[in-house]
Amino acid sequence: MSRVTSIRRPPAGYIETLLAEQPKLPTSPLMGVNQLRSKAVDHLATLTLPTKRDEAWRFTDISALTKLLFQPVSPVISLENIDVEHFYLEEATTRLVFVDGVYASELSIITEESGVTVVKLPSADATHAELIESHLGRHVDLEDNVFATLNTAFLHDPALITVSRNTAVIDPIHVLFIATQTGVASYPRCLVAAESGSSVTLIEDYVALHDETYLINSVTEIALADNARVNHIRVQRDSGEAFHIANCSVSVGRSSNYQSVSVALGAKTSRYNLNVLMDEGAECAVDGLALIADSQLADTHTCIDHSQPHGVSRQLHKCIVGGKAHAVFNGNIRVRQDAQSTNSKQSNGNLLLTEKAHVDTKPQLEIFADDVKCAHGSTIGQLDNEEVFYLKSRGLSDSVARNLLTYAFGAEIIDRIPIPSLKRKLEQAVLEQTSLLL
Amino acid sequence: MINKESKTILEVHGLHATVNGVEILKGLDLTVKSGEVHAIMGPNGSGKSTFAKVLAGHTAYEVTAGTAMFEGQNLFELAPEERARAGVFLAFQYPIEIPGVANSQFLRLTYNTMQAQRGNEELDPLEFDDYVRDKMKRLEMSPNFLDRSVNEGFSGGEKKRNEILQMALLEPRLGVLDETDSGLDIDALSVVAHGVNELANKDNAIVLVTHYQRLLNYIVPDFVHVVDNGRIIKTGGKELALELETRGYDWVGVEHQAANLATVTAGAA
Amino acid sequence: MSEVLQDLVNRPYKHGFVTDIESDVAEKGLSEDTIRMISAKKDEPEWLLEFRLTSYRAWIKMEEPTWANVHYPKIDLQAISYYAAPKQKPKLESMDEVDPELLRTFEKLGVPLHERMALAGVAVDVIFDSVSVATTYKDKLAAVGIIFCSMSEAVKEHPELVQKYLGTVIPTNDNFFAALNSAVFTDGSFCFIPKGVKCPMELSTYFRINTEETGQFERTLIIAEDEATVSYLEGCTAPAFSSNQLHAAVVELVALDNADIKYSTVQNWYAGDKNGVGGVYNFVTKRGLAKGVNSRVSWTQVETGSAITWKYPSVVLLGDNSVGEFYSVAVTNHHQQADTGTKMIHLGKNTRSTIVSKGISAGRSSNSYRGLVRVGPKADNARNFSQCDSMLIGDKSGANTFPYINVRNNSAQVEHEASTSKIGEDQLFYFAQRGIDAEAAVSMIINGFCKEVFQQLPMEFAAEATQLLGLKLEGSVG
Repeated sequence: MSRVTSIRRPPAGYIETLLAEQPKLPTSPLMGVNQLRSKAVDHLATLTLPTKRDEAWRFTDISALTKLLFQPVSPVISLENIDVEHFYLEEATTRLVFVDGVYASELSIITEESGVTVVKLPSADATHAELIESHLGRHVDLEDNVFATLNTAFLHDPALITVSRNTAVIDPIHVLFIATQTGVASYPRCLVAAESGSSVTLIEDYVALHDETYLINSVTEIALADNARVNHIRVQRDSGEAFHIANCSVSVGRSSNYQSVSVALGAKTSRYNLNVLMDEGAECAVDGLALIADSQLADTHTCIDHSQPHGVSRQLHKCIVGGKAHAVFNGNIRVRQDAQSTNSKQSNGNLLLTEKAHVDTKPQLEIFADDVKCAHGSTIGQLDNEEVFYLKSRGLSDSVARNLLTYAFGAEIIDRIPIPSLKRKLEQAVLEQTSLLL
Repeated sequence: MINKESKTILEVHGLHATVNGVEILKGLDLTVKSGEVHAIMGPNGSGKSTFAKVLAGHTAYEVTAGTAMFEGQNLFELAPEERARAGVFLAFQYPIEIPGVANSQFLRLTYNTMQAQRGNEELDPLEFDDYVRDKMKRLEMSPNFLDRSVNEGFSGGEKKRNEILQMALLEPRLGVLDETDSGLDIDALSVVAHGVNELANKDNAIVLVTHYQRLLNYIVPDFVHVVDNGRIIKTGGKELALELETRGYDWVGVEHQAANLATVTAGAA
Repeated sequence: MSEVLQDLVNRPYKHGFVTDIESDVAEKGLSEDTIRMISAKKDEPEWLLEFRLTSYRAWIKMEEPTWANVHYPKIDLQAISYYAAPKQKPKLESMDEVDPELLRTFEKLGVPLHERMALAGVAVDVIFDSVSVATTYKDKLAAVGIIFCSMSEAVKEHPELVQKYLGTVIPTNDNFFAALNSAVFTDGSFCFIPKGVKCPMELSTYFRINTEETGQFERTLIIAEDEATVSYLEGCTAPAFSSNQLHAAVVELVALDNADIKYSTVQNWYAGDKNGVGGVYNFVTKRGLAKGVNSRVSWTQVETGSAITWKYPSVVLLGDNSVGEFYSVAVTNHHQQADTGTKMIHLGKNTRSTIVSKGISAGRSSNSYRGLVRVGPKADNARNFSQCDSMLIGDKSGANTFPYINVRNNSAQVEHEASTSKIGEDQLFYFAQRGIDAEAAVSMIINGFCKEVFQQLPMEFAAEATQLLGLKLEGSVG
């Protein structure tokens, strides 16, 4: 490949430096994976890292990230259940654990529940070849998205989940990514294919065992065939020094229903791109909460793309920003010309807890059809003094009153998570964090 | 529920229909008798939803050939509202939203229109309220759907229930359900199906237009028809649906082609 | 089905007749002399003549605005007569002295001039071409201290009030048409609600253009002092002429501490024929100043007439905790063009505004919403909610929404909702499938669509507006 042509790439050599380690990856037993990888490596030669001059990265400066040299992960230190079981969820009977991006079979549980197929890694099987061929790398943008392409170049242990036709999987599937090493880059990858008439709940969960710097560059692809339902819960509680860059692409088939709640608590700099492509009669609810303090930055970019008629989408994104943290929300609703009778509602609420906290919010409606209903609203505010006063008049201290109101603001999102134990954990985390935020 | 005394409700012969000049229905035949439940299945784009809309008289579709007799009347001579008043009910795949018009107001207007047509007493708002609440209870619908605008902000499942509620109020002779099952989760599906089963009796008939076999676990059809390329290419009992589920629509298509080929060969011979 | 819809929209304009009445019409054209003539005819004080001349001098330096989404040939402002009045006794002592032809005109229009015939609880001021011809219930209102009269009379009887407030909300050089109005306005309504008084009845002004090639430039000023409240309604009609009449009114509202002004308009000027010939150019500047703390200014408009509408009733939210509201239904058909909306300027703390705009376009008409929400740097905790819904009837009409949001204080909460819907085949088919015919379906859809705005109208007029819309749109859907 003619790598020499890409002369305008700043900062020089970052991608090459990362890629230098790529050939050391062991060959995957899944043929499709190896092909995808080498295609991605080739394509990276034509891509550059985004800067603040790119509209999509205007508010998110990643120059700090590019100054660091992340190493590939070392052979995994083996963890015992006892080290990490506080991250486990009692409701989840299927659990896939990845330590620094590497599959840990000894921590995982794959039940033989009817209807769900979880590819046991490392493994090679004709049915997986079919799944990989039709879905892996087919939903995420690998044209212009340098991070998704990097993830694909380093693809090794993808979580591959299929739910077969007309199967309702009751218990949630927990996919847990645990960071243990410092200074490393890991590339989690997740693929869920929900076949026609099926339903499933997926929990994508990022946690850390330390407070040091590392990079998570993850890609998740979710494909819903006709009439399927997927409940997707995403929790990012990385270390406060980590970089977390994630791309999630969802294809919602005819009359299918996608519900997602994403919560960002950790990372020094995080960026979450969520793209949802809606087919005829599809419905989605996309909710998010970013709760950040100190000098954290949490950037959420979503695009709900109505390509066919009769789609319904609803979105509520909230940011609670303390310290001198910075939240970014860019919510794009696209209604293409054929997408008549689309009904879309987006709201964005922001709570600034300090003078130095700030938020950049940009709702965008792009409408090309003439029979549609779209609503968007955005609020930026501080805690309502009347409400604080009311609580104080009932005997609460100023800080307790403020914590309670802050908590209530975020609880509206957390309440939408249908997993009681996870909800409790997050509520606890929010309560702890709110007292630190001020 | 097939019985000897049953009367013919609908008789369709050689139906051809076009939309924007493109022929979608290409010679469809169907006879429906009272007390029967028919399922019309087929892949997306086969023409099954078009058939439902043509029966109800959607103006975007032009009937170019064929007949449809409904209880002795030529359906194609009637305006859409006259067909409705005569007892043809279509449960829409995508019911429209009417902001600012209370559901109760709309339901009462349609109910009274039908009552007037049948020479029955119309109901005032209070009487109607009692009447409709009872029907809603059976469909596990909360009464607050009465005060909300028609279908506005309803979820997919709620819209479908509202359609079946209208069917329950209007008591049609022929109920055509266009993809009523799509977008429903299992719970909603069983409630809707239960509502439909309650409405089916020996004097009326139901035509279910659906892509999936799933619905037929709840509403058991007497006949299953497979539509492909604008015609019914196979008819069978409820077991046909199960076979379609396991073998896919392509199987019928292939078999149909083979049969056609056989006929042609036979003819040639 | 499309024919049914067309018939539904195309009911004829029933106010299109001309009254045969002797009028005093000024020579066409505009100069300082015209202004001196108007002022002299009205026997005005020197300060008012100065006000007019200052405005005129500002106006001649201004350019006619072109940013609105409307298209029309340039108006020759020298080809218009700036004064027309029915020849009558200079001052009427009682209703019985009104020209019987005039009384018949207003009876035909459904405007009650005889107090005994009047709708219970509505006082009416009637403006025929440029002058006020009658005001009902004056004495009853005077008993509680309310002044409700024509602007000309107010200038004579209460010059100090007029001088204190005139041009304070809309400066004489605010915009091209407001400056023109300030130079040449002939009459209009004046209303003053003193401190602590709740106006006991609806006040109403009825505007009628009768003479062809006349400009109508009325000027309305309403002042509600501390704790005062008033609800005011204006109605407008004009004969069907093949030429275009210019209507460039200015309305100023001032609400002091805790005062509440509700201003409703049912505008049904002649809209031109179905080919777009004739009709009124309605270029109006309306603005309310919510000056005092906790004050409220609320605009409700039902705009169905005029060939071209260019109108943005606005509220300047100066007082802390003040409230601004704008509820609008604008209907256009045939070749009508409307560019209408509002401005909510938040300057005080805790100010709140609500905008609900419903645009319905049929035929080949064009209907635009243009609105500005501005939150100034000192306007802590400002809130705005805007909802702009458009409905298209048929496929040759157009709708546009231009919301401008300018927020300079980050405690603001601004929400915007928009929808575009259609009355087309699918909607009518759904109704038909439930046994409901197209006419009933259209009326139900339209009334549902406009419900939030009609609810804001005074009760007496809500029915009128509903009916007006029914007439306007009968037969329009395809």
